[in-house]
Amino acid sequence: MRERHAIAPGGGGPGAAMALGDAPPLLRLDGLSKRFGSLQALGEVSLELHPGEIHCLLGENGAGKSTLCNLVFGVHSPDAGSMTLAGAAYRPRSPADALARGIAMVHQHFSLVPDMTVLDNLLLGQVRGVLDRKAGAARIEAMRERYGLALDPHAKVQDLSVGERQRVEIVKCLVREPRLLVLDEPTAVLLPEEIGALLAVCERVARQGCGVVLVTHKLAEIRQVAHRATVLRAGRVAARSEAPAREIDALVRAMIQRDLQAPPAAPAPAPALARAPRAARVPGQPVREAALHADGLTVRDADGVLRLDNFTVLVEPGEIVAVAGVEGNGQSELGAVLSGMLRPGEGRYFICGREMTRASPRELTAAGCGVVPEDRHALACVTGMSVAENILLDRLRRYRRHGLLDRAGLRAAAAELMQRFDVRAASADVAFGGLSGGNQQKAVLARELTLDPLRFLLAAQPTRGLDVGAVQAVYGHIRAAADRGVGVLLISSELDELLSVADRVLVLYRGHVMGSCPTAGAERARIGAWMAGHREEEVAA
Amino acid sequence: MSVPADIRPRLRPGPALLVSVAAVLLAFAVGAVLIALLGVPVGDAVAAFAEGAWGSPYALAASVNRALVLMLVGLGFILAERASLTNVGGEGQIAVGGIAATALALWPPVAALPAGLAFIVPMLGACLAGALWGGIAGVLKVKAGTNEVIATLLLSFIAIWMVYGCVQSEHLLRRPMTSSATLPESLEIPAATQLPLLTGDASTPLHVGLLLGVVLAFAVALVLNRTVLGVQLRATGLNPRAARRAGMAIDRLTVGALCAAGAFGGLAGAFMLQGEQYTLKAGFSSGYGFDGLVVGLLARGSATGVVAGSLLFGFLRSGGINMEMVAQVPTALVVVIQGLIIVTLAGAALGIQRMESRRT
Repeated sequence: MRERHAIAPGGGGPGAAMALGDAPPLLRLDGLSKRFGSLQALGEVSLELHPGEIHCLLGENGAGKSTLCNLVFGVHSPDAGSMTLAGAAYRPRSPADALARGIAMVHQHFSLVPDMTVLDNLLLGQVRGVLDRKAGAARIEAMRERYGLALDPHAKVQDLSVGERQRVEIVKCLVREPRLLVLDEPTAVLLPEEIGALLAVCERVARQGCGVVLVTHKLAEIRQVAHRATVLRAGRVAARSEAPAREIDALVRAMIQRDLQAPPAAPAPAPALARAPRAARVPGQPVREAALHADGLTVRDADGVLRLDNFTVLVEPGEIVAVAGVEGNGQSELGAVLSGMLRPGEGRYFICGREMTRASPRELTAAGCGVVPEDRHALACVTGMSVAENILLDRLRRYRRHGLLDRAGLRAAAAELMQRFDVRAASADVAFGGLSGGNQQKAVLARELTLDPLRFLLAAQPTRGLDVGAVQAVYGHIRAAADRGVGVLLISSELDELLSVADRVLVLYRGHVMGSCPTAGAERARIGAWMAGHREEEVAA
Repeated sequence: MSVPADIRPRLRPGPALLVSVAAVLLAFAVGAVLIALLGVPVGDAVAAFAEGAWGSPYALAASVNRALVLMLVGLGFILAERASLTNVGGEGQIAVGGIAATALALWPPVAALPAGLAFIVPMLGACLAGALWGGIAGVLKVKAGTNEVIATLLLSFIAIWMVYGCVQSEHLLRRPMTSSATLPESLEIPAATQLPLLTGDASTPLHVGLLLGVVLAFAVALVLNRTVLGVQLRATGLNPRAARRAGMAIDRLTVGALCAAGAFGGLAGAFMLQGEQYTLKAGFSSGYGFDGLVVGLLARGSATGVVAGSLLFGFLRSGGINMEMVAQVPTALVVVIQGLIIVTLAGAALGIQRMESRRT
């Protein structure tokens, strides 16, 4: 397929003046494609990167940014296309290959041993034979002088903040003197003040002649450091910019372009998913009647980092409220709090007027709170047990005769639910783990939507990993529940889906509600900007 | 017992039995070779083994009683195992059970209780003591995340030495010292507190504990396979967070499972004391807890497997003791044969599982 044209051909960004001569680019990607099963993760992506350049890679979740990095770093091999490193063919078979050719990568998730010191983590895998700690410490000191990366070599990693841990990862890369440094969403985990320091390091590294690929979806960062930028959307290059600082708005549009064309052309949500918006809440109506009333929920993680910040929401009976946002911006914590698996540091929440802040999962279920958790395998099912046992896991006691488990009754009840919710399995007795993801999710829905009473449903990423048919079915059931008067809080990173299903959407960014609006006539650009941590005034500018 | 076959990789009974028997025979054959190498006539050794294991009504009853103790520990083991808990503390649970049973039986008011209560109360006390011993490991796991393997094992050592302490001090359970030759052991428990013999004839010392043991074996099979509790234990073991989300009290299930396993061990201790030994001595538990653990491991979660395994090991122990006394085969060799059986059985189970999974 053809690539989109650059937004602004030529031009000179802040750093574009350097290294754009006749020298071969440091890294050149030509028509790179990668497919995972039925998902085309990357399609014919081409890109050039020069020494001393900070190249920002933008895109929504699932746009293919991480896949691209993994191809460059040798984690995966491309299905088609070629890569050239400093003029020579480059086909890494493993990260070790990539490292040997001078490419280093900082992953989203750190690979550090918490119990060991910074120095020992640094030496891990980089030395053979005798450990020379003195030389290692000297190298850390050299890094401090060269890049301003201060680290205490003898501190244990477990005592470091997230930002410091990331610094260890970066130093681990830099001591190899790489030609190219790939940073996959390095700022997603950082506090604002730490982000500034990281960006400064990136600039220093680039100034030493190293190429830097910075994956991000935060516009402020691009404005600050990017020499050039490439926007990926659905695995393809949606835009390129030679002067990203001046073209932020165009980049935002390219990133969420699909969202700007309302109604979206493809993939079209089924007509069945469209629904009339609910009547807005009459002001002054008592909160007591809300299916969910969350008031100032705040969560900090073990490192003291604020994960959910003063989250407040009111979900009326029959209303579907969606929580949008890039994953990792507090959705998991919100889901854990509302399912009784995590106590909020501050704030309270009520189901139908009853305070549930410190309730156990069992009490929540009794109060009519159904939960479709984000992590199905960890929380919603026991894969080693049968479908029947899983569908009725929370109400096994109902199937007893003379004190014994009434397996026939259990099987029959499960079979009935399986039919109602179209859970396809050979029988109610097969292992739950053998079902497809879609059928597993439908089974979980069958359990949670048949709670009696059911007043509120928390559905977190309910369609993750499901195919189109299953997605339709899942939303069909959620919508039917709302039509029966159940209040629904839908946490999802699929903007298209939640806009077509929900009545109202609010956007989480860094645990903070950036804004909220009805989905009817919602401006996708505005929501997209909220998701990227962009305040309204900045978008308008 | 209708646990769906597709859920757990269960061994099909036919081939499993065949392979198990073959494994045991193989271990015996290797044992025979070892005996021959030691210069003991194999015929003599086998005769001594048979005589000790089932050669007389007394031998038969003694073997069954040994099997009964191993079975109780094994049943407790598979009960906790269903919640993915490994109780290796059978030895200590037997020991505290023995101490509790002795203390209660030697307490005059208990011996004076009417209508069988005289022997029932010490048994119940032993169950409680065992449950407490298992429960400590459970609470440690739930509250502090301590691995139950380590906790139950270490608690065993404490309990074993507690028996030593109890029989060394007159203030505790040691019989009154009348001379310097008085052994460090308790008084014999009163007749009313001893388990009644089934035949009324001391030459066949089968006691009422056998009946209770059979009932308990059925009960455990029923609980594991046919009750809500069994499913909840399994869910808790396989995915505690999902079980909690589904409203199960996983902490209580965890502590409860280890308490139950401990209670079985305590009862085994009561059977040993009130059914056979009648006096508490140092080293009274003599490895039954660890053998019972092996029985539980080899049973792969099945109560039937526990019964079969405990009979095998019970007879093996009786025969082995006689083989040592009569044919002068060292005990070490009996232990070697026992080890061989464990290895061949475990290996056979693995082999069958591989075969089955390849077929499907």
